[in-house]
Amino acid sequence: MSGEQALSTLSENMPKQPLVHVSELKKSFGSLTVLDRIDFDVAQGEVLAIIGPSGSGKSTLLRCINFLETPDEGRIRLAGVEIDAGRHPGQKQVLQLRRLAGMVFQSFNLFPHMTVLENVSLAQKRVLTRSQSEADARSMELLDRVGLSDKAREYPYRCSGGQQQRIAIARALALNPKVMLFDEPTSALDPELGLEVLSVMRELAQDGMTMIVVTHEMHFAESVSDHVMIMADGRIIEYGPSAEIMRNPQSARAQRFLHAVRDR
Amino acid sequence: MAEIAAQVLLGLPWTIAVTALALAIGLVLGMPVMLARRSRWPWLRFLTGSLITLVRSIPPIVWLFLIFFGIGSGYFKISPFAAAVVGMGLISSAYMAEIYRGALLSIHSGQMEGASALGLHPVRVWIDVVAPQLFRVALPAMATFAIGLLKDSAVSSTIGVPELTFQANAQSMATYRGMEVFSFVAAVYIALSVPVAWLSRILDRRLRAKVSR
Repeated sequence: MSGEQALSTLSENMPKQPLVHVSELKKSFGSLTVLDRIDFDVAQGEVLAIIGPSGSGKSTLLRCINFLETPDEGRIRLAGVEIDAGRHPGQKQVLQLRRLAGMVFQSFNLFPHMTVLENVSLAQKRVLTRSQSEADARSMELLDRVGLSDKAREYPYRCSGGQQQRIAIARALALNPKVMLFDEPTSALDPELGLEVLSVMRELAQDGMTMIVVTHEMHFAESVSDHVMIMADGRIIEYGPSAEIMRNPQSARAQRFLHAVRDR
Repeated sequence: MAEIAAQVLLGLPWTIAVTALALAIGLVLGMPVMLARRSRWPWLRFLTGSLITLVRSIPPIVWLFLIFFGIGSGYFKISPFAAAVVGMGLISSAYMAEIYRGALLSIHSGQMEGASALGLHPVRVWIDVVAPQLFRVALPAMATFAIGLLKDSAVSSTIGVPELTFQANAQSMATYRGMEVFSFVAAVYIALSVPVAWLSRILDRRLRAKVSR
């Protein structure tokens, strides 16, 4: 065996470091514990769906990953940037982490006073210090990717909810994130408009984007995600390959939840 | 009458100066006052809230007397114009802080979160995302306040600032033609107020057209 082959075999056999590593994450609001010792990993290119009843802590967990909510304790490592929440991380570290994670919100959160193009270009100019023309060129590519380059000069209010969410996806992709975080991206949309968004997300997953998706779309969770995590009362009650978890949940609580959402 | 009008109009630059400077002080100082009012430290929130209440509870004329005849006579010399600008600027800061606060509350928290999630520095979140929306929402209230301030600037005549009302009063006493003199000065105030209201309405319509149907 040549030295090169040996090195290659060695690297294949070594456990791959996950792209996202969350350990011992805790978060309380006053006396209410919202997240209780959460641990999980997400590998490069993996799609993880987080499902569970309302108030189970899904969105808070997602928001803790990019420190929109500051966890009380625990560690988050994202593509080499590690933050220990218990050590009161500085702003620089938090900004570094956020630059690696694109986030898409339920309520889109596009900036209403900027055109669609300006929305997508803003962070490229401010965070990546791209020139206006570079940023706009990249924005047009991304808008084209989500099928909305013709809306570039419009203001967001002139776009449908589905279009706004696709623009929000393009905006989040503009920083070349390592992972995309989706917080119930279709919950504010009617089913037809939700489908446009899901189709863009499906394409992203096929292109190898690492994604963590908080969703109520059971079909998406089952068909697109690699792993499913079910949460209840701030804890992970079930976690594993999506087909297995969705078809054969082990805990009574998870069975009850899946039964309820499927019977809807 | 032309001579009287010319004399009254000598006060116009003073009226504009007191109003513009007090408004400028309010526009600038109102922002840190509002931020202090929303501070994470309860003692600072309480202190700023109490100061705003104090400033707003005392009539402008009493503030001007307090600054000019109180502080100005006993502690250090202050001109009537400076006293008027400081007094009206103080009042203006308290009101502008509340106008900004109301406007900020109307901005969806998702706007700050959306910008923060993009990795923007908190200062840039304010400059690029919050401030433009805040000023758009605050504009009508700011214009109303500016017109109110213009009229309140007449109070500075009581401490000897030679502005429009001061000049009108002097002309009325000198000529005994109070009806004409004060009607004229009322028309000047209207002529100053209407363009402010008109401009703010046009600007508001333009800004609103960008963000809603």
